[in-house]
Amino acid sequence: MREIEPAISARAVTKSFGRQRVLDSLTADIPSGVTYCLLGPNGSGKTTFIRAIVRLLHLDGGEMSVLGRPVSEVDKIYSKIGYMTQHKALYPDLTVQENMEFYAGLYGLKKQQRVARLEELLEMVDLLEHRGRLAGALSGGMYQRLSLACTLIHEPELLLLDEPTVGVDPRLRQTFWEYFGRLTEEGKTVLITTHLMDEAEKCGMVGYMRAGRMAAEGTPEEILHLAGLRPILKLWLAEPERDAAQLQAQGYEIEVEDGVVQVRLESHAQIKEVLAEVSPLDMRLVEPKLEEAFLRLSEAA
Amino acid sequence: MNRPGLGRTGVVALRVVRQLKRDRRTIGLIVFAPIVLMILFGYALSGDMSGVHLGLVDGGGHDALRAHLVSIQDFDILRLGSESDAERLITEGQLDGAVVLGTDGVRVLLDASSLQIAGAIAAAVQAGVSREQAIQGTVGGLQGTENIINTRYIFGYDLKMMDTVGPAILGLVVFFFTFINAAIAFIRERSQGTLEKFMVSPLSRVEMVSGYVLGFSLFTILQSATTLFVVTALFGVPLQGSALTALAVVLLLGAGALVLGAFFSNFARSEFQVVQFIPLIITPQIVLCGIWWPLQSVPEFIRPFSYILPLTYAAHALRAVMLKGAGISEILYPDLLALGIFFLIFFAAATLMLRREVA
Repeated sequence: MREIEPAISARAVTKSFGRQRVLDSLTADIPSGVTYCLLGPNGSGKTTFIRAIVRLLHLDGGEMSVLGRPVSEVDKIYSKIGYMTQHKALYPDLTVQENMEFYAGLYGLKKQQRVARLEELLEMVDLLEHRGRLAGALSGGMYQRLSLACTLIHEPELLLLDEPTVGVDPRLRQTFWEYFGRLTEEGKTVLITTHLMDEAEKCGMVGYMRAGRMAAEGTPEEILHLAGLRPILKLWLAEPERDAAQLQAQGYEIEVEDGVVQVRLESHAQIKEVLAEVSPLDMRLVEPKLEEAFLRLSEAA
Repeated sequence: MNRPGLGRTGVVALRVVRQLKRDRRTIGLIVFAPIVLMILFGYALSGDMSGVHLGLVDGGGHDALRAHLVSIQDFDILRLGSESDAERLITEGQLDGAVVLGTDGVRVLLDASSLQIAGAIAAAVQAGVSREQAIQGTVGGLQGTENIINTRYIFGYDLKMMDTVGPAILGLVVFFFTFINAAIAFIRERSQGTLEKFMVSPLSRVEMVSGYVLGFSLFTILQSATTLFVVTALFGVPLQGSALTALAVVLLLGAGALVLGAFFSNFARSEFQVVQFIPLIITPQIVLCGIWWPLQSVPEFIRPFSYILPLTYAAHALRAVMLKGAGISEILYPDLLALGIFFLIFFAAATLMLRREVA
């Protein structure tokens, strides 16, 4: 996946507001056709980075390219970019449908295309029944969904979503992620900022920002590896000491706690190999959490 | 049971003072706006006039009256050959009035569309004739001043205050509401994030501002048609010219007010702050545009301001259309031209400011 030309490439990008350096030599590669999750604490520069990508602010230094063009020319490809801000960018005094029609018009969608696209998106964000309601009368989650629908209306190649799932219930969040998955299958790139680690785990790639820098970047597995975290197979055995010794002899990393044998796996493929050696009464696989990985990486930094 | 306490009142007062202290604009407004406004009102209401263009047709006699008129510094006297010349120049708006001196008496021709100037000329003539009679020793005799002075209004009807002010009010109403609404609309575009989203779309800044001008124009038409109806039908203000010409003036003024509002929205952070523009942007126009007091009564050092304010030109053009029956060609210069230039300047400024906002 990573050998394809990146959708966004940033090299030593810097940006300061007054004395505060918000982007500090940030280097990142966001490959085409993936869902890329930008994680990081508040004030780490995630939103500034996204605004720099669409040239809502000018960089002090460094180089950046977007969809193969230098960032200085990004205004020529705005029709290929879908940008969802934290502000939602909707007109509360227009209906759901009128808001969508407005954005469809901005991107020059023809009537037939517009009608079809509207139906498809309204269904995806589960607002078909609410199309006639004023946006201002929607709940927070619905408002968020409408904002996403408006961002997707022109089928952008590159989606930049700043906290798109805030206030959206878990069931619908699932729908969103499935939809993002479909988009990446079509070769589109989705860049998302979020605070939610479980969302990050669903992404093809994750970038962790700290103090304006990219502290770690890679697939979720790569990040876990980087932080030294592995999946652990917990085994309940009839003769734990003997089996533990046997596994250790085979070169596995073993720990015994309260009679339970814990095997640190290099990969999931090792599960079969372990089970060929021992016959457990019961077992459980404990996956490492990205959250822990980031905590470790932060501490290490 | 809570009794009203000085302590808590003090807490609230302290908070208000702290907030105001950080809001430098409000402090400025509290301190300077009254000073500026009082100066404007004070000068405008002082009743002094200057730059009144008066024609003089000299048919002989009336030496004392002539000397009196010439001695008035506020009058720019233009000597003319005939009464018909005077009449023509008044109709064209080149003269504010004319005095015809003749052996049979004094005829005063006045432009009725500005009552204050007409009043000032009439008063000056009256004073001159009184002086003449005093010299001749006929004061209070059979020949009262009324018998000598024959006053004629060039536009042929008796105008009331509302008639002369009405056309300008039409412009004022549209200017006021369009300015405020546009400023608020642009502030909302910013606060709800739509402006930022526009910046990342194929929509250009020129398209955006133009879209606003177009959309608002529909409401300006509706608003000015209603106001025009009320002013003419209910208050009986004459409409000598075409209603369409009047609407064209108002539309151009409204477009100017819109881009001005869009431009000034950059200097306000909330709808509340838009209200603070009223004393700074709107009131000076009301005072200085020549609606309530003729431009001639605005002191000369302030008068240049009058000539950069759009309402001055709109009021002048609307008066010409409604009271004198002027057509488009007669108000093209300077009124429509000035309104057009004003619009273009602030259209450019508003679009440029949109960029600065996000850069």
